[in-house]
Amino acid sequence: MAKTLNLTLKVWRQENREAKGRIETYAAKDIPVDASFLEMLDIVNEGLVKEGKEPIHFDHDCREGICGMCSLTINGIPHGPERQVTTCQLHMRKFKDGDTVWIEPFRAKAFPILRDLMVDRSALDRIIAAGGYIDVRTGSAPNANNIAVEKVKADAAFDAAACIGCGACVASCKNASAMLFTSAKIAHLNLLPQGQPERSKRVLAMMKQMEAEGFGNCTNQYECEAACPKGISVDNIARLNRDFMRANAKEGLCF
Amino acid sequence: MINFPVSDWMPDAKIPSGPIQDKWSKYKLESKLINPNNKRKYTVLVVGSGLAGASAAATLAELGYNVKCFCYQDSPRRAHSIAAQGGINAAKNYQNDGDSVYRLFYDTVKGGDFRAREANVYRLAEVSSNIIDQCVAQGVPFGREYGGLLDNRSFGGAQLKRTFYARGQTGQQLLLGAYQALEKEVAKGHIEMFSRHEMMDLVLVDGEAKGIVTRNLVTGEIKSYAGDTVLLCTGGYGNVFFLSTNAMGCNVTAAYKAYKRGAFFANPCFTQIHPTCIPVKGDYQSKLTLMSESLRNSGRIWVPKSRETAEKIRKKEIKPSDVPEEERDYYLERKYPSFGNLAPRDISSRAAKEACDDGRGVAVTGKGVFLDFADEIKRMGREWIDGQYGNLFDMYEEITDDDPHETPMMIYPASHYTMGGLWVDYNLMSNVKGLHVLGEANFSDHGANRLGASALMQGLSDGYFVIPATLPAYLTTTKPGAVTTAAPEFKAAEDEVKERINKLLNVKGTKTVDSFHRELGLIMWEDCGMARTEESLTHAIERIPQLRKEFWENVRVTGTADGINAELEKACRVADFLEFAQLLCYDALNRQESCGAHFRVEYQLPDGEAKRNDDEYAYVAAWEYTGVDSLPVLHKEPLTFENVHLAIRSYK
Amino acid sequence: MNALVKTICTFVTSSIGRKIIVALTGLCLVLFLAGHLAGNLLIFGGPEWINTYAHGLHSMPEAALWGIRAGLAVIFIIHVWLTIQLKLENHAAREPYVFKNTIKATLSSRYMIYTGLTVLVFLIYHLYQYTLRVGYDPAQFTTFISDGTVETFDVYKMIVTGFSNVWCSAFYILAVLMLFSHLRHGVQSIFQTVGVDSRKIRPFYNFIAIAYGAIICLGFISVPVSVLLGIIK
Ligand SMILES: Cc1cc2nc3c(=O)[nH]c(=O)nc-3n(C[C@H](O)[C@H](O)[C@H](O)COP(=O)(O)OP(=O)(O)OC[C@H]3O[C@@H](n4cnc5c(N)ncnc54)[C@H](O)[C@@H]3O)c2cc1C
Ligand code: HEM
Ligand code: HEM
Ligand code: SF4
Ligand code: F3S
Ligand code: FES
Repeated sequence: MAKTLNLTLKVWRQENREAKGRIETYAAKDIPVDASFLEMLDIVNEGLVKEGKEPIHFDHDCREGICGMCSLTINGIPHGPERQVTTCQLHMRKFKDGDTVWIEPFRAKAFPILRDLMVDRSALDRIIAAGGYIDVRTGSAPNANNIAVEKVKADAAFDAAACIGCGACVASCKNASAMLFTSAKIAHLNLLPQGQPERSKRVLAMMKQMEAEGFGNCTNQYECEAACPKGISVDNIARLNRDFMRANAKEGLCF
Repeated sequence: MINFPVSDWMPDAKIPSGPIQDKWSKYKLESKLINPNNKRKYTVLVVGSGLAGASAAATLAELGYNVKCFCYQDSPRRAHSIAAQGGINAAKNYQNDGDSVYRLFYDTVKGGDFRAREANVYRLAEVSSNIIDQCVAQGVPFGREYGGLLDNRSFGGAQLKRTFYARGQTGQQLLLGAYQALEKEVAKGHIEMFSRHEMMDLVLVDGEAKGIVTRNLVTGEIKSYAGDTVLLCTGGYGNVFFLSTNAMGCNVTAAYKAYKRGAFFANPCFTQIHPTCIPVKGDYQSKLTLMSESLRNSGRIWVPKSRETAEKIRKKEIKPSDVPEEERDYYLERKYPSFGNLAPRDISSRAAKEACDDGRGVAVTGKGVFLDFADEIKRMGREWIDGQYGNLFDMYEEITDDDPHETPMMIYPASHYTMGGLWVDYNLMSNVKGLHVLGEANFSDHGANRLGASALMQGLSDGYFVIPATLPAYLTTTKPGAVTTAAPEFKAAEDEVKERINKLLNVKGTKTVDSFHRELGLIMWEDCGMARTEESLTHAIERIPQLRKEFWENVRVTGTADGINAELEKACRVADFLEFAQLLCYDALNRQESCGAHFRVEYQLPDGEAKRNDDEYAYVAAWEYTGVDSLPVLHKEPLTFENVHLAIRSYK
Repeated sequence: MNALVKTICTFVTSSIGRKIIVALTGLCLVLFLAGHLAGNLLIFGGPEWINTYAHGLHSMPEAALWGIRAGLAVIFIIHVWLTIQLKLENHAAREPYVFKNTIKATLSSRYMIYTGLTVLVFLIYHLYQYTLRVGYDPAQFTTFISDGTVETFDVYKMIVTGFSNVWCSAFYILAVLMLFSHLRHGVQSIFQTVGVDSRKIRPFYNFIAIAYGAIICLGFISVPVSVLLGIIK
């Protein structure tokens, strides 16, 4: 039989958006080391349900690190102690028998808590809606190979496009800033030739939306990069700052 | 064997006449148009925001329709299309290796083991090229060569390089393109997006699909939405097996509710088992993780020749590398010399199962085979391997704690994709008027087996190019805005939903929803998985109603109906799986032949290959609902093959 | 013109815009500090040197002197004003965790506002002490420079007198240590804010920040320490 762990969980419970939350303590017994963190919660929840208690609610879907739906701040770190993995990919072998594990939601004013560990991250969708796209009507596209893209740029754009929109950057940032997320999307599109026509508009509109959603300002603490499960680089923030100046210059001076 | 009631009537598939290569252009030329000013008077309800749903919603909104789009996740960007790793096919022939629309069409029909509709597949192949153009223009970062042009790989058993890819995240990047297009229209006010909304029922008014009932997953509110037509883009039902590569929330509810309202469910038994997943570790396991098929380009699949050696490996008495070359059975290379490790999915999966059933499996559970990179690492070097598969190796190590550089990966087949789905005609409309079905939720293009990299193509083809052209065929027959939620049908449907929820909450039994789902999955996997027999299916058909009965008597659903309640969400989905599973088994039982992914042990060629019965089963089995406890009625849509000649599919 | 005014208005109220202004004002202060340190170190050359330097500064035309001072003050006020504003917004955006933890953000980056405010308090005291020269009766602090031909205020003596007070020196040293922390993050941050940063060059900027901060810090500390140790008297 595989090895198992016994843990003490300190979990944030909150009935709904308005309710006052609190930390509650649970014992997680006989957790197989091969289980993922969410499977560990499944096991705890199965026990709770059997006792007729309300299970701990958390967001998740794909459970393979790509949909960006899972969240959880584990021991104060979004997506937990392992670098570059999402909570759903975090495995229990990274914990020790007898550990106390603190589990809180992704916290930020712009991410209101819906229940327990579930938060509302729709602010990120609205940032995308503000300009995180290339406006090309279906059917109006030219032949794909008419647009050649320099490999270095294509690669850099891809690195930025790998963002899964989980919001860990916001959750980890001491200022609850969404700069890493926003800059990643802007970098993805602004680096590509296809993205040029809307480049300035995109930067200005998306930044405006980010501010309106109540995210904080970036003070270059780079915590977001460390917490990001996809290793999105803060280079994108530098790029965004540059692009922002450029866009303002264009706008103001009508270049 | 059960004698299923068979009906002579079959709705018209509305396939345009004429030579296959002209059908689609002719169709578009002859189709009715809607004046741009009138388009905004039509409301289109799009359920699902995956590749099919998001692309349809965005495109229809661009055209001027008024769109409402629903998904159960917290953002449309998280639909399960995001998980696709490998790639998307298109007949671009950028590699100059002889590809063409016809060849992609041919491969897909043959790959589907002659159980798909020729006309649909041809259209898919035709449109494939536009998809790539559209996606590139949206900024989808496909892999490129140093010259800046698009790169291709060969994938899923194709002998051509026609697969476009975006590292190991093709699905994500394509979905982001569609999602961004969708958000663009949200911002313009053309789409209203309803995230965290689950469709609970379909509403028909005068026999036509005019609305849906949803549950707001945050507030618990049951609410109806009316529209002029409904597009179901709700994905596949692979989770009927409990363990699958699908996301936790993937469900059959939307499609099943439509089935209960009269839509035919076609070929539900065509379920694809993917050969390269990480094997099961324990009964706490919640899902299975797919390792990209591209690994098969470099890995060699083997099990020990002897059971004793396999036993020792399972007990960890010896390491895989201790097994000498002559004691290894590279069974795919042995059985299929020309395709070897790249044999199609159904064939590879079955071969793995056979090896494990023979007692030569290697994971702790005995259900696993090796995928060994040692030779390739020796040949190409570690650096090259990492360049190709670095992410996948890391992911594998994260999950299993084994380093694939040092010891071979272990893989086992898992439920992955469902070719079956709601029956649709050439317009993507089901037999229920006004109900359109797109993407994995419909049955149309993959026959009995889907080729790798074809599902993404189909989802986007349906959403970006087909439905915008075919929707007017229905819409022009209706008066826009004629139906509102004031119609009594809405109230009745809402009441039914509420009652069902109440019932679930009030069972107050002792077993969890998950335990029922797990049990159902086990039945399905054992009795209706990779190899099916009349006996196993009969067993499943007996067991499922018992389990369903027990569910309704003994399930424990905690919490209340108002507000977030994950247990309730799961319970609603599992309740539908418990009914749907039976239909799936009926279909498998009815189809007394082996074809593609549907393997009936009784029907095999002497060498163990699938034995089709074209004379009796070259048809689409479209099932009509008659009641939970009564047999469904079988409608048959005969399949004719005028362009690709029926032949034994051989990958030897 | 209208477009320009509008753009400027939105720029100076935007998140990134204000950050850039903070960085640029910070840069000016960084340059000022370098100059100021160089001037201060003249004290090691003896009374003549530093007094000549101070005299030189004060013999600038009044307008120029006050112009520079006003410029400096404006830069400073903008820097402080905007950073406080940003900090308040950032604070409002964050919901606190029960269990706090950090992976990578440096202490200096997280305590910028506190190190900054310490420097602010220090500066008020500093100006009160050395610029307004409160408590230093000019009558008692008169000296002659340029071979005794020019009469001027004895800055040297003022500094020695001031730092002879242990408490005064201790406060200076503390403030300068805080300033080190402020610069350790601030200087490399300028590059990121104005968008000339990248993963590859970041270690170099960090080196500059630490080296610059250390020079400033040790340089300024050397004065009170030398006074206390009696090296300068
Ligand atoms: C791990 C994995 C890898 C794959 N790799 C490839 C590949 O490399 N190439 C390839 O071609 N194909 C691949 N596939 C298959 C392909 O990804 C899917 O078939 C395809 O993306 C399905 O798209 P869809 O739009 O039909 O459905 P989905 O993307 O599944 O979207 C379903 C949508 O419906 C919504 N929904 C579902 N039920 C409800 C409800 N009741 N109420 C409201 N909304 C609902 C969901 O919220 C979601 O938005 C892969 C599949 C998996 C699982
Ligand atoms: C001699 C005095 C000072 C110097 C040389 C200085 C320098 C700098 C520099 C270079 C930065 C980095 C700007 C950037 O982010 O790119 C900075 C940031 C900051 N300064 Fe100062 N500063 C000084 C005084 C102050 C004072 C008095 C305060 C008090 C409020 C203050 C508060 C801040 C804060 C909070 C930041 C962080 C802003 C950010 O990183 O975005 N500073 N400073
Ligand atoms: C040990 C360290 C220091 C010494 C000995 C010192 C000394 C002095 C003296 C003598 C003056 C008055 C100059 C004159 O008016 O003739 C002065 C002014 C000033 N100092 Fe310092 N200083 C020190 C550190 C600092 C630091 C750390 C800062 C900034 C944070 C600073 C900022 C200023 C400013 C802004 C003025 C006013 C300049 C003006 O009058 O225009 N000093 N300092
Ligand atoms: S940048 Fe990283 S942490 Fe932020 S949303 Fe994207 S993937 Fe998540
Ligand atoms: S942690 Fe926050 S401060 Fe900036 S660099 Fe990242 S957004
Ligand atoms: S559940 Fe999808 S990323 Fe974790």
